[in-house]
Amino acid sequence: MIIDVHGHWGPWFFSTDVGDAAENLRVMDAYGIDLQLVSAVEAVVYDPSSGNEALVPVLRAQPRLRGLLVIDPREPDLAARQLAELLPTGLFVGAKIHTHYARTPGGAPAMAEALALLAAHDLPALVHTWGEEIIGLADVVAEVAGARVVAAHLGGPAWPLVPFAAERTDRLWFEPCWSTPAAGRVRWVLDRIGAHRLMFGSDATLIDPSVTLAAVRAAALTPDEEELVMWRNAAEVFGLPGPE
Amino acid sequence: MTEAPARPILDCDLLVGRDIATARRVRPDELAATLAGVGIGGGLVGSLRALLFDAPSGNDEAAAAAADHGWWAAAGVDLRDPLTAVAEVERAAAAGVRAIRLAPGRQEVPATVPGLRAVVAAAVGHGLLVLTEGDARLVGSALRGLGARVVFLDAHFYHLGDFVLLAREEPGYHASTRLLGNPDGWERLTGEVGAERLVFGSRPGWFEASAVLARMDTARLTASELDLVAGENLRQLLEVAS
Repeated sequence: MIIDVHGHWGPWFFSTDVGDAAENLRVMDAYGIDLQLVSAVEAVVYDPSSGNEALVPVLRAQPRLRGLLVIDPREPDLAARQLAELLPTGLFVGAKIHTHYARTPGGAPAMAEALALLAAHDLPALVHTWGEEIIGLADVVAEVAGARVVAAHLGGPAWPLVPFAAERTDRLWFEPCWSTPAAGRVRWVLDRIGAHRLMFGSDATLIDPSVTLAAVRAAALTPDEEELVMWRNAAEVFGLPGPE
Repeated sequence: MTEAPARPILDCDLLVGRDIATARRVRPDELAATLAGVGIGGGLVGSLRALLFDAPSGNDEAAAAAADHGWWAAAGVDLRDPLTAVAEVERAAAAGVRAIRLAPGRQEVPATVPGLRAVVAAAVGHGLLVLTEGDARLVGSALRGLGARVVFLDAHFYHLGDFVLLAREEPGYHASTRLLGNPDGWERLTGEVGAERLVFGSRPGWFEASAVLARMDTARLTASELDLVAGENLRQLLEVAS
């Protein structure tokens, strides 16, 4: 079984034609992905208000897609309102915070407030991390009682910092998707943080799942690691079903 | 899944040496083992010593690695010293080398420097293929009008639209596959400018080459298009027989 915790639905502003949910399902089928957690591109890059709403009918129509509600830490009132309105649908299993588009670094006070809001709803969050902010995010997660966060991209080019971030708190997990994966990165990280702390994400439909799947396969996972990384950790953190 | 290419895969983006940014080293024998492990048959090898420290001795290192392993050498030049860079192009051409490699990003040289066009003009004069790292939008714009045959090693799917616009103007512009890892990048590029313009590159040992190979496995290209991408385009650019 494969659970992909880092997916997106909707059109991108790049020269690519991947806006239909059918494209999510096409790449999921191509690579054997059973469930994909998706945030609306519109909500990430433009406006959570309209973007999160637009995702609702897509999630209703596509049970293999589960929602990540996009939170902009600069608009906590909007976040609180959408959490109250949309969580009861049962369609959203977590939140997504993009530190770059929302101009809120991982270690910012507003990040702490956003994670506290999510913790109050017992909702885990996938947080974009790039560079040294992964350490700041780890410190914030450690500070906020009940916060549960998956650090997306392993901090991108700052992936050698992942073991230091992992030491800060055991409520921080890591996800490895990246369009420019360095050779040997996944095994290097796994050997230092353990397989209980890593979960698969693809960044589809921005990135083809082959990129990160191959990077993970190149790490030659043991059967136990495979189970944890490819679905079990995600199932436990996001409250998802395991294999039938 | 796409049918496997008929001939061994050739990679336009092989590198040996030490990367000062990551402190990582890849020796030629290690690279050969990596290629064998992932099923890449060979390709065009450059030297980080040439790109980061000393072009002449680094290019000798690349030539030796190529000779030892049945690869082709790409002569690296340092745009921080454009006078030596032009001279190194001449030396490479005289030695029978078929390609040069540029790394403006690694060398922190902007694409607007005069040395970039001067080096590429010298390469064009000798009929050499140009491999270049860096933002394809910026380097590609800077090299317009020279009639150069160029493979952009860092062409990213984020910038695919601009690359297509450049490639329509410049028949010698080609993209490496390495960073076209989105769901429709290979297909969109070949649909817009033809499979002749896509060249397999994965920078094995530095980049997760198996990610590029995995993308090729599910590329929605015909078998003949895949043959071009996997090796035939590079052979034609190097003007060597299949």
